Order: sequence, then C-alpha cells, then structure tokens
Amino acid sequence: MAELKSISFSTREEVDFVVIGSGSAGGIIAKELATAGHSVVVLEQGPYLQASDFKHDEWGYEHNYDLTWSARKGNVQTFRKNENEEAEPREAVLRYAHNVGGSSVHYSGNFWRLRPIDFNEASVRGTIPGTNFVDWPITYEDLEPYYTKVDWEIGVSGLQGPWDPYRSRDYPCPPMPIKGSDVLLERAAKSLGLNPYPAPVAILSAPHNGRPGCIHCGYCNGYGCEVNAKSSSMVAMIPLALASGNCELRTMATVSRINTNDGGRVNEVVYFDSNGVEQAQKTRAAVVCANGAETPRLLLMSSSNIFPDGLANSSGSVGQNLMFNGYSSVTGLFDEPVNAWKSIPATRVVHDFYELDPSLGFYGGGGIDGRHPSAGTPLKFALGAHDLFGGPNWGGEFKDSLAFQFSHCAAFDGHTTSLPLSSNNVTLDPVYKDSFGRPAIRCTYMDHPDDLSTMKWFKDKSIELMEAAGAARISGSYPESGQSGNVHLLGTCRMGSDPANSVINAGHRAHDVPNLFTCDGSSLVTSSRGQPTMTIMALAFRAADLINEAARRNEI
Amino acid sequence: MGKDFITRRAFLGSVKSSVGKSIIVLSSSAIVAACRDSKFARAAGEAFVNLNETEASEFDAIAGRILPSTTSPGAKEAGVVYFIDNVLDDSRSAEFDVLKKGLQELRASASQKFNSPNFFSLNEAQQDSLLRQAESTAFFSTMRYLVIAGMFALPEYGGNKDSVGYDLMGFDDRHSWLSPYGYYDADYLEKGE
Repeated sequence: MAELKSISFSTREEVDFVVIGSGSAGGIIAKELATAGHSVVVLEQGPYLQASDFKHDEWGYEHNYDLTWSARKGNVQTFRKNENEEAEPREAVLRYAHNVGGSSVHYSGNFWRLRPIDFNEASVRGTIPGTNFVDWPITYEDLEPYYTKVDWEIGVSGLQGPWDPYRSRDYPCPPMPIKGSDVLLERAAKSLGLNPYPAPVAILSAPHNGRPGCIHCGYCNGYGCEVNAKSSSMVAMIPLALASGNCELRTMATVSRINTNDGGRVNEVVYFDSNGVEQAQKTRAAVVCANGAETPRLLLMSSSNIFPDGLANSSGSVGQNLMFNGYSSVTGLFDEPVNAWKSIPATRVVHDFYELDPSLGFYGGGGIDGRHPSAGTPLKFALGAHDLFGGPNWGGEFKDSLAFQFSHCAAFDGHTTSLPLSSNNVTLDPVYKDSFGRPAIRCTYMDHPDDLSTMKWFKDKSIELMEAAGAARISGSYPESGQSGNVHLLGTCRMGSDPANSVINAGHRAHDVPNLFTCDGSSLVTSSRGQPTMTIMALAFRAADLINEAARRNEI
Repeated sequence: MGKDFITRRAFLGSVKSSVGKSIIVLSSSAIVAACRDSKFARAAGEAFVNLNETEASEFDAIAGRILPSTTSPGAKEAGVVYFIDNVLDDSRSAEFDVLKKGLQELRASASQKFNSPNFFSLNEAQQDSLLRQAESTAFFSTMRYLVIAGMFALPEYGGNKDSVGYDLMGFDDRHSWLSPYGYYDADYLEKGE
C-alpha cells in the first residue's frame, strides 16, 4: 500500500472542503479543488491499495469480498422487491469497491459517452406514466468538454464511431486490439447490416500520462490493474491531488454524519477514524461523492431538527429513483478456440439499438458487446457452466465439458436502460445496523416492465447475432424475475431545476443546503445505456469547475 | 505494505469490538485475508487444520468423484481437500455445519446400503450412486461449490496444485498476452479485416 505523504490538517481547523469518497467522482473533485488552491480533506472508508497489492485472486475477490464492502466486513445490507415485503439481510446487494479510487479500481472500464438524446429523451420521446422519467437540466454540449477532459486526463482508448456524438478532440490512445469474441460479433453484426465499432475503454492501449499500456492479462472486471494501465481515479487523479500540497487523504475513515449550524449550513463532517474513534472535521463546505448507495444513506442519516427527513431532502427524492441498468447475456460455443478470457472485457460494441423503436410498445435502448461469459475467470465459469448448456454438473463428463467450453465460448452481452421510479430506492433499514452502528442500507428494487422488455429484446437480438456468428450451441438469459442487486448505483440524489423533485441543481449544489454538493452515480437523471462511469467522471470535472468558479466569487 | 497494513488490522480490530451492534457477526476471515500471502500452501500429507481425519478422508473421496481423475488430473491430484481444510475456518462455520451433518447422513447410507462405515472405502460405482441420491441436498451443493473452488482458485489457497485446474480449462494465469489471442482474431488479422 502507498505511503501517504501530504499535508495534514487538524480536525479543529476549518478546511475549505471535505470530500467524502475518493472514487470515480471524489478523486477527480479532490484533485480539481486542491490544485485550484483550496484546502481539501478526503475521507475514504477503504485503504490506499497500489498496483502491487492486486492479484489474480478470484477466490479472494469474488468469494471473500476482499475488495468490496460486504456483510462479511460488518456492512450488512437488506433487500426487498417492494415496500410490502420485509427486507432480508444479504451478503452484498449494492456492490462497490472500498478502497481509494472506489469502483474505478475494479471496474471493466467501458467508457461510452452519453449522446445528446440521453439528456432530453423525455421531451423527444414523451414521458412515461408512473415513472420519474424527465430531461436533464444540462445538455450534451454542456458536458462535452468534460468528456474530453476524461478522455485525456483519466485516459481513454477508442476510435470515433459512425453513431458517436460530436467530440472536440480525438481519443488520446488508439483502440485496443480486437479479441476473438469481438471478431465473431463484428462479422455477425456486419452480416446483419449493423455497425460494430471499437469499444471505448478506460484502459490504456499505449503509454499515456506516465502510465504504461495494457499487457492484456485478462483480469479487469472485478480486479485492480497490476500495471496501472486501467484508468482509475486512484492512478490518474489521487497522486495529483496529493502532489498539490493542499489535499489530505484520510483512509479507513467512515463517515457517519454531516452536521449543520443553526443557519442550515454544513459546518462539520463526523466520521470513525482508522481506529474506530469518532472524529469531526470542521469545514466550510462538503462534497459528497460516496456513490449512489452511500450518498443517500449519509444524507438520510444526517437528519436534524432543521432537516427532519434527512439533509437536503425537502423533495423526498434522496434515495429514490435508484437505477441499476439492465442486462442480457447470450453465450455461444464455437469450433475453434476463442480464448476470450485473455485481454480486456470488450473490444467491439454494436450501438445500432441505442434507441429502440417506440412502436415496439415499450421504452428502452442499449448496446451489445462481445465478451467471455464469466469475465474470463475459471472458477466463475466452472460454477456456472452447467446453467449454460446443461448436462451433468459433476463427474467425468462435466469435467470434460469444462475443458472444451472455457476456451471455445463467446458471449454477446446487452447493456440496457433502467427507468427512474420512486418505488426503487435506498432507505435506512429500521432493524439492521452495520458494525459502526449505522442503519443498514435497505434496497427496494423491481425492474420496470419496460426495462424487462428491453432486456428480453436485447437477449433475442443477441441470439440472432450469435446464430449469424455460426455458434454451434447457444444459451441466453436475462433476469426475468427482476434484479436483486447491481454495481451500477444511479439516480438516488438526482440533479434537476425543480427543487420539488430533485436534490441538487445543475451545478451539483443541494437545493436545500448552500454549501453542500453531491456528485457520483446518484446525480444521474437517467440511467445511461449501461455504462455510466464515463458520465460520472465528466460530471465530476464539470462540478469541480463550477464549485471553483463559485468559490472565486465567494458564493459557496 | 508496512504502515497501512497495521492500520488495516487496527481498523478490523475496532470493527470486531463494535460487532455487538451488528446482526452479522464479523469473523476473522477479513484478517486472515489481510495477512494471507502463501501461508496456505502445504505439501500433501501435512496435518489438517480444520478437518478431522475422517472428514479429510471422506471429503477427499467425494471431491474425487465430483472432479474425478481421468486422462487428466482431478480434485485429488489438485489437493482440493487441503483447500477445503483451509477455507472452513470460523468465517464459513455455517457451511462446515452443513457438511458435517451431510457427511453423517452419507456415512449412514454407506453403512446401510453397502455395509461399510466409510464412504471412501466404497468402489466408484457405489460412491456415485450415493452421491446421486444426495444431489439435491445442501450438503452436495456445498461440497460441489468447495470442490470446484478448490480446483480453480489460486494455488496459494491450498488446492489447484501445480495449476492442474487451470491446465484442465486450457487457462494459463500469465501476466501478459499479445494479440492474437485465439483462432478467430488471428484469422481476422491475417485477412486484414
């Protein structure tokens, strides 16, 4: 783990900003505020791991939750499908990495920009009764300069595609080498008259900003990069934040509450330090970047006489509109070795179905990319192989099937929209508490019927593609009875112009609390087409710009 | 690691001390994970940590039928029973309880049907018939889960000896690869698509 060499502040000293969380958004905002000259304390609940700490350890990461925050580490969450059910405790429901850099350390790095339509789809397509599907208060043009900033400062590899929106600057790195699974997808898609093109990824194909190019080891999804080729905020932003001399990073610091003064302004952030001792950092302002599960939990836990329903929650929207994104997965077996377990998850994407035809009778859209069905990892494949193609699930025949299938398979995965609903939310569990005594996150979630129809449509389309690819056997699925957890945690403190139905304004400032800002997956108004992190990072660069401007005008 | 490692241990200790507030009891697994390194790697024949002798012999025999030794090494050669021994610590006591109870029933069946107190001394056909009977039980699914995990987890956890599990899959745990990775991308590059 890294040595923390930087300035340190007393908790009694009022700093300019406390940034809560050092992930995709928090790492960027900390760097931008600190390099602009503000004093910044970052509170991160996990450790500061480094490339040398990461291993190809499937049992440790996937089965012991070594990188993620789970019940096993005293952080129980509960789940129910609707408010009439009693929520049951689970090992992990809303899953995220707990380390400096957050989930940008263990993500797949698929970096699709949103398109102009994502920002005003409700106006163009029409609202959907029973949902909170609305336009964003910003446009693609507002965010484009910041997408480009992500491309260059975080590090993205790709090639402008035929369906891509306008970009002001080319990608800094060329696309990654194509994998066999994506050759199969590309050929199949072209045979159907579609337009596959190189997938944009936050993984360097060539050296950039002092970091090396990818060595194609195959361990991206769920793993930390061992050579810093994956563009996390941990490798791209945190070192710059610390080098500014204005930023202190406190690891193993778990925030329990944001306090306000009598005037309703944030004045301190309360947290448990690495020894489990409660501390309170005085601050002029707070930026909450704790992710779409923890940000609403923290605001709800910070209720007071002035804010009886939770901090910044006069709208009642804090925790609501949780969106996971939908998915489908179709696996095919091929005669020759595909070896999709090598290199990064996906190198081609089909975006011809970004917006499904409204005449289908449901709302939705997404993309399809080519992958290995078990993220290229052998244990996950062995445990799930029987569910794909049947046959015995133990004994000699089972063993032989593993030997053939692991290297001869390819998956065409759909990544799709989710609609924002009040009934899908994060609330404080009334019964269960975590090891710090904080109320457990209670997740209530059931995919909207349109979301399920969209997943099914993408499954069927992927089967068509798999047939065109010449697969000998095909198996497809999507979560027909609804999802019970995810890694995409979106919409729970949405931005909007109307304080009656949103938590923050277009500048990420809480409608109710002038010196409180939030920025992470919770800020998203709509769900993206299944790859939200690029947008979370662009929002973070933009939010930091606006906060810096406001600070210059003395308007925090 | 040095400095932060201590911090992490101290943190875990603090979590443990406040565990009374939580419904989920924190185990030592996270601490074990933090200081794991390769302490699990053991040679065949060494003493077991969590399993008794009967459990070790029986689990080894069951593992040998779930992933049998054929033309390629199976669970026995992979040392899966050592993996199982290593991971069945306090953090997996619920799973261990399921296995203990299930093993009792399996041994009772062996006794009743084949007049042998031990499952491991039955022939393969007899063993398979008893396992087929138990297929839908929590005992069998837990056993299957741990056997597969022991076959394909990193060798440092005690199983997957000499990477025989990876070899079976055609998987190679290298740190770098160069394109082309397989048949289809090689063909694509050759044709200049």
